[in-house]
Amino acid sequence: MTAYLDIILSGIFHAAVLFLIAGGLQLVFGVQKIVNLACGAFYALGAYFGITMVGLAIKYGISQELLIFILLISGIVIGLIGVVIERLLRLVYDREEGFQLLLTFAIMLLLEDVIRMIWGATPKTLGNLSMVYGQITLGSISIPNYKLLVIFASVALALGLGWILQKTKFGKIVRATAENRRMSEALGVNVIWINVVIFTLGSILGTIGGALVVPTSAASLEMISEVVVEAFAVVVIGGLGSMRGALVGALIVGLMRAFAVHVYAELELLLIYLIVIAVLIFKPNGLYGKAAE
Amino acid sequence: MKKKLVQNKNRRSVMKGFGAASLLAVGGSWGFPAIAQNRPLKVGILAPRAGIAATIGECGLRGVLFAVDKINKSGGIAGRKVELIVEEETNAKDTTERFRKLVLQDKVDCVQGLVSSGVSLAMSPTVEEMKALTIYWDGTSQDGVKETIPNPKYLFRSTDNECEAVMSSLLAIKYFKGQFATIAGINPDYSYGRNNWAAFQALLKRFGIQYKVVAEQWPKVGTMDLSSHIASLKAAKPDLIFSSLLFADLPVFMQNAHAAGLTKGTKFVMPAAGFQQTLLKKEFTPEGMVFGLNTLDFNYPNATPLQKEFVQHYFDKFKDYPNWEADRAYFAMQVFKAGTEKAVKAKGAGGWPKTEEIASAIEGIQVESLGGPGMMRADHIAEQTFYQGLTTHKNKYDFVTTNPTDKKFSNELQKPPGVDFWQWLETAKITL
Repeated sequence: MTAYLDIILSGIFHAAVLFLIAGGLQLVFGVQKIVNLACGAFYALGAYFGITMVGLAIKYGISQELLIFILLISGIVIGLIGVVIERLLRLVYDREEGFQLLLTFAIMLLLEDVIRMIWGATPKTLGNLSMVYGQITLGSISIPNYKLLVIFASVALALGLGWILQKTKFGKIVRATAENRRMSEALGVNVIWINVVIFTLGSILGTIGGALVVPTSAASLEMISEVVVEAFAVVVIGGLGSMRGALVGALIVGLMRAFAVHVYAELELLLIYLIVIAVLIFKPNGLYGKAAE
Repeated sequence: MKKKLVQNKNRRSVMKGFGAASLLAVGGSWGFPAIAQNRPLKVGILAPRAGIAATIGECGLRGVLFAVDKINKSGGIAGRKVELIVEEETNAKDTTERFRKLVLQDKVDCVQGLVSSGVSLAMSPTVEEMKALTIYWDGTSQDGVKETIPNPKYLFRSTDNECEAVMSSLLAIKYFKGQFATIAGINPDYSYGRNNWAAFQALLKRFGIQYKVVAEQWPKVGTMDLSSHIASLKAAKPDLIFSSLLFADLPVFMQNAHAAGLTKGTKFVMPAAGFQQTLLKKEFTPEGMVFGLNTLDFNYPNATPLQKEFVQHYFDKFKDYPNWEADRAYFAMQVFKAGTEKAVKAKGAGGWPKTEEIASAIEGIQVESLGGPGMMRADHIAEQTFYQGLTTHKNKYDFVTTNPTDKKFSNELQKPPGVDFWQWLETAKITL
C-alpha cells in the first residue's frame, strides 16, 4: 500500500511542476490570446538561474535550509524577463495566430541560445542539496521533504492565483479583459498594463517551476522541449485558457504517467497522448475550456 | 606553438595551426618524402557540443586536441602537421550533411568522432558511399547487434556497444552471485539499453543464475524527472538493479534513488556510469556498485605514463577528470596516424598513399591509447582495454572511484567477426 502512496506522490510532484508551467500558459492565453511556445524556455531559464543563485547564496554563507526560498525568489526575479518579452509580443497582438506562434517559437530559440551562452551546453545539477530538508519514512518508503515542500508551494501558488483572480479588484479587471478586451478598454482599463502584468506573471510561474524542480533534477537544454509537449497536453486536457483546467490537466498527466511507468513502462508517453486524443474527440474544448464563439 | 580557434555564428569552429613552428623545426628530420609536407592533413571532427551528450563530446574534443598537440610536437603524421575542423554532431540528418560538407567542401583526409549510435548507424552508408576514411569514437554501424555494413572499406568503428554490458554482467556474477534473486532494469529506451539488459539476462542464464525480473523501466534518453520510475522500482523491491543510463539522467537517477531509500540494501550494476563519474557524488552514490569505466579509468593505479600525463594535463587545464570518450578520440587519432605512416612507408618514394591504401594499412594496426593497448581488427572494428570495478568512497575526491578495478581486453567481451552476438553469448568461452 505504501508503495502506491509513493507512486501517487511522485505523480503529484510531477503534476505540481507541470501545473506551474501550464498555469502560466493558460494565464497568458486566457487574457492575451497568445499561445506561448516559449514557456519551456522560461522553465529552463528558471532552473539555470536557480542553480546560479543557490551557488551564490552558499558562497556568501546563507543557510542551505533557505534553499526553497532562494529558489522561489530567483524564479520571481528571472521571471521579470517577461516584461521585456511582452514588449516584443506587442508587435503581433493584432496579427494572425500563426505570426504569434512563430514569434514565441523564435523567442524560445533565442532564450535557448542565451542559456547556452551564459551557462554552456553541459547540464548542471545541485547535487544532493534537496536532502537538506531530510525525508520522512512511511513503512518501506522514504519521501524527501523537499518534494512535499514543492507540492505545497505549487498548491499555495495555485490558491494565491485563484484568490487574486477571483477575489481582488485586479482579478476582476483581468477577467473582464479576458472576456471582452475592447469593452474593458472602452471602460478605461489600461489593457497595455494588464498585458504586461499577466505575461510577466505567466513567465514567473514557468521560471518558478524550473527553479523548484532543479534540486531533484538537472538543468539542461533538453528540458525546454521536454516540458513543452507535456504542458500542451495539460492545456488540451484541461481546456485552453482555464486555470482550473491546468490544475486538473496537470494532475491527470502527472498521475497517469506515474501509473503507466509502474504498470507498463512503455505506455509512459503513449497513455498521455491517448488521453489527449480522447479529449479532443469527446470534449474538444477540454474539461474546463469554453467553446469558441 | 601557435594555436588558433575560430568560431562562427553557427557554432562551427575551425582549429588551425597546431604546432606550426615546432613542426618546421623537427619536420625535416622525419625522413618522409618532400611531397608529404606540402599541406597539413585535415581531420574533420564530428562531436556533440550541446545537450545531454555535450559533456561527452567536450571530453572527446579535449582528448583529440591532446593527441594532435602531441602528434604535431613530434613532427606530425608522416611529416605533415594535423589540422582539425570541428563540426557539431546533432541529429542523424544534419550530422550526415555536416559529414558531406567536411568531405566535399573542406576536403578532409579523415573524419573522426560520433557518439550517438543512432547518428552513426544512419551515417555509415554515406561514409562508404562517399569513400571517405572515417573512424568512429563511440559510434556503431550495428542495427541493434546486427551489422549493417559487414565489409566496410572506409569506415572503422569502435568496439561493440555491448562490451561494457558483457563485462559488468560478468562482474555482477563474480561479486554478487548468491546475493540476489530478483532483478530490475532501468535502461534508456533504444537499442543500446535494450541490448544491454538482454545481454545481462543472457549471461545470468549462461552462468546458471536463477533470477526473476520484477520491474523493467525504459525512460526516454535524457528524461530528467525519474521520480515515477524510482517509485515503481522501489515498489518492485528488487535485490539488484541493472541500469545502462549514461547521460545527465544518471546522476539525477542516483540522487533521487538515494533520496527515496532505494540505494539501501539494493545492489547496482551500471555498465556505462563512467561517463558521469565526477557527478556521481559520494553523498548519494553507494559503495559496492558494479561501475563501468569503459576504456579509461583516470584513477587506475597502474596507469601508463601516457595516461598519467593526460590526466594531469586534463586536470591542470580544465580542473576536471576525463571519461572514456577522451580515450576513444585519442585512439581514433592514433589509429589514423599509425595507418597513414604504415601506408606512407609501404608506398616509399611513390608519393602520398591513396585513401584506400591508408584504410587498408589501418587493418590490424596496433596502437597505444590512453587507457592501454588497442587495435583495429581486419573487419574494421576496434579492440580496446576495458575497466570496471566496484565503487568505493575511499579516495581523495568527492565522487566515487573503483576498487578493486578489473581490466579486460575487448576480445573477451565482444563477438568475433561475422558471429551473431546472442549465439556468441551462449557458446563463447567466457571467464569471470
